Amino acid sequence: MIQKKVCVLGSFGVGKTSLVRRYVQSMFSDAYLTTVGVKVDKKTLAVGSADVTLVLWDIAGEDDINAIRMTYVRGAGGYFLVADGTRPETLEIARSIQARVNTEVGAVPFLLLLNKADLQESWGLSREPVEALEAAGWTILRTSAKTGENVEEAFLELAKRMLS
Amino acid sequence: MSSLSLSARDTPDMADTPIDEARIRRLADLLLEVARTVDPELAASVPSNFEGDPRLEALRSVLLEHDRAAFARLQQKVDDPQEFAEAVSAVLASAFALAASRDERLASILAPTMERATQASIRTNPKTMVGILYPLMGPAISKSLAETLDGTLQGLNQAFKYSFSWQGLKWRLEAYRSGSTFADVVLKHTVVFRVEHVFLIHRKTGLLLEHVAAAEAASQDPHMVSGMLSAIQDFVRDSFSSAEGGRGGGIDSLRLGDLTIWCEEGPSAFLAAVIRGNPPESLHTQLRETLGHIHEDLHGPLEQFEGDSAILGDLSTRLGSCLQQQEQPKEERLSRWLWILPLVLVIAVVSWAVSRAVEESRVDAYVQLLRDQPGVVVTGAERRDGLWHVSGLRDPLATDPAELLAKANLAPDRVAGHWEPYQALNPAILLKRMEATLSPPTDVSLVIYGNTIRARGSAPQHWVEKARAFIAALPAGSPRIDLAELQDVQDPTFIALRQAIQAHIIPFDSGSPRPARDQEPRLDKIAEELAQLIKVARGLGFSVRVTIIGHADATGRDTSNLSLSAARAEVVRSMLRARGIAPDLLSVRSAGALEPLKPDATDEEKAINRSVTLTVSTTD
Repeated sequence: MIQKKVCVLGSFGVGKTSLVRRYVQSMFSDAYLTTVGVKVDKKTLAVGSADVTLVLWDIAGEDDINAIRMTYVRGAGGYFLVADGTRPETLEIARSIQARVNTEVGAVPFLLLLNKADLQESWGLSREPVEALEAAGWTILRTSAKTGENVEEAFLELAKRMLS
Repeated sequence: MSSLSLSARDTPDMADTPIDEARIRRLADLLLEVARTVDPELAASVPSNFEGDPRLEALRSVLLEHDRAAFARLQQKVDDPQEFAEAVSAVLASAFALAASRDERLASILAPTMERATQASIRTNPKTMVGILYPLMGPAISKSLAETLDGTLQGLNQAFKYSFSWQGLKWRLEAYRSGSTFADVVLKHTVVFRVEHVFLIHRKTGLLLEHVAAAEAASQDPHMVSGMLSAIQDFVRDSFSSAEGGRGGGIDSLRLGDLTIWCEEGPSAFLAAVIRGNPPESLHTQLRETLGHIHEDLHGPLEQFEGDSAILGDLSTRLGSCLQQQEQPKEERLSRWLWILPLVLVIAVVSWAVSRAVEESRVDAYVQLLRDQPGVVVTGAERRDGLWHVSGLRDPLATDPAELLAKANLAPDRVAGHWEPYQALNPAILLKRMEATLSPPTDVSLVIYGNTIRARGSAPQHWVEKARAFIAALPAGSPRIDLAELQDVQDPTFIALRQAIQAHIIPFDSGSPRPARDQEPRLDKIAEELAQLIKVARGLGFSVRVTIIGHADATGRDTSNLSLSAARAEVVRSMLRARGIAPDLLSVRSAGALEPLKPDATDEEKAINRSVTLTVSTTD
């Protein structure tokens, strides 16, 4: 069986934990996020004929005070960058995180998830920066932890990229 | 030998040019000279066409000037040790690296030299080596000490905990018996543990490489557990390692109540063992060795691991060796059949007590039976040496005590009798004694009335006489024996014979001591009858005596009559003796004229008084 370490990264409050909670097998309390700064969950899915176990490291969100511990990112086979569509600044933070992660683990597959797609009418995100990122080769998915939109797809997509 | 040839490739513009033979020869000579210069062998075999030509030397100096200078520099480098050392030092590191990458020979060649160098260094100045090793030895020693101390404290804690308990007292006794220390005994009983899970976790990715669990161990998702363990290790390492320490140590041990997690870190992977209970230090060694072997054998795959554990093969057997456990020695439970032993004992004791009580009551009954027996006086009954001893006095004619044992349900071998013989005066015993001594005829019955024995029926005279003699010999105070109702009866033959004998009168002539002549047949008859009587009496169990009485008539003097009558009796006795009658049965008595058979007889009748008569008496 193939396992991959997948980190879920993003700004504080972008809905990382909510995003994965409904779709993963979980055994640890969210309290680890505030204490140790990470919570490990698992998601097993089939990519083609192979079963892949994604060990998800849900890493505590970054804010003005706490930077992401890069130690947790080490050895990741891929990662999700999560930004909140209603808070444009979180996209910027995602970009910053991506730069640091790229330095730490190199060019491993990643997806940018623009979360809270269910609140699209109140999105403050302008098109330009998103398009610029797409132009730079980023894959961006609009997701909603609330409706489940694109969540399964996001896991599958990242898994495919990591295996290819 | 080397050959020299020259060829020229034709070129289009050279095709039309005529060849100058002389130029070619000169060029060939020149090239031959160059070749001679380069090849000393050629120089020796082919003579030079330019000997003594100064132009050649000039050409040489022009052509070979650079080479000569280079050669000189090289020569200088090799000849001068300082310069040669400098030259070698420049390439030495690269040469070592190259040689080491090719094979293992360099290491094995260098090893003895290194060892000698190390020894020399230690001999010269040990401090240097101490300085080198200190950064390694310091942490190693402190870790070893910490682990030893941890184990000792663990043991001490246990020892204190169990010092003053009932368990503790038992263990103290065990330590005393086995000759080991108390602490050892406590450890033996308390180091009880079970390794429930062993995780082999990739350090870089935190991914699970292998997981084994003990049977029935509570199972959580090993992937998440290994991820989280890895995260916590990173967290601790990040949070508490010194900045300059770089890759500091992670968590060695985590404890949560009865659960302990021991982590053993290797360069590429770490082992985490989840242990329930109180693991011994030897488990650390086991974990360390297992991890060491995995790293030795799978160094490359571990380095290259990116999520596909297939490249590592099956590691579960190796990790399985870490799934150790030590069970609490079970209390040695007694066999459930063992309760039979005390039960049997109790039954045995109770049955013994019951049988003893039963026997005692039987002995009591036996003694009572004995006491009821006439002629038996029980003086004591006691139990001694497992036997009952009954003692007392017993008339030999009384009931045999042994015969009463069966009546009292006692086995003959359970009771020993000790009887002193005595003569009882009890009427019943006296009756027995009479019967034994006198053998009463069948017509005689002896009956007890109170303290008196009455004889009834009829008995021969002689028996009655025997009975009287018996009564007379009894001690004073004996029961009375009453023979008054006994009738004297004799044997009819005996009576008839006695009457016949006593009826005989043997007449004598006057003044004659001899019977008349015609009396011979009478005497024969008397002798015959006497012999018969004696025989009959003997058959009846007694003897007879016959008294021969001599008579005389009243004529003549009394004295002569007396002697005459005596003589007449004696004569009859001798005549009977002559006829076969034993003389000791015959006694004589002279009656003289004092006992006339017919007093006041006439003269004719007086003849009757001149006679001899016979009287039969019986004796015992």
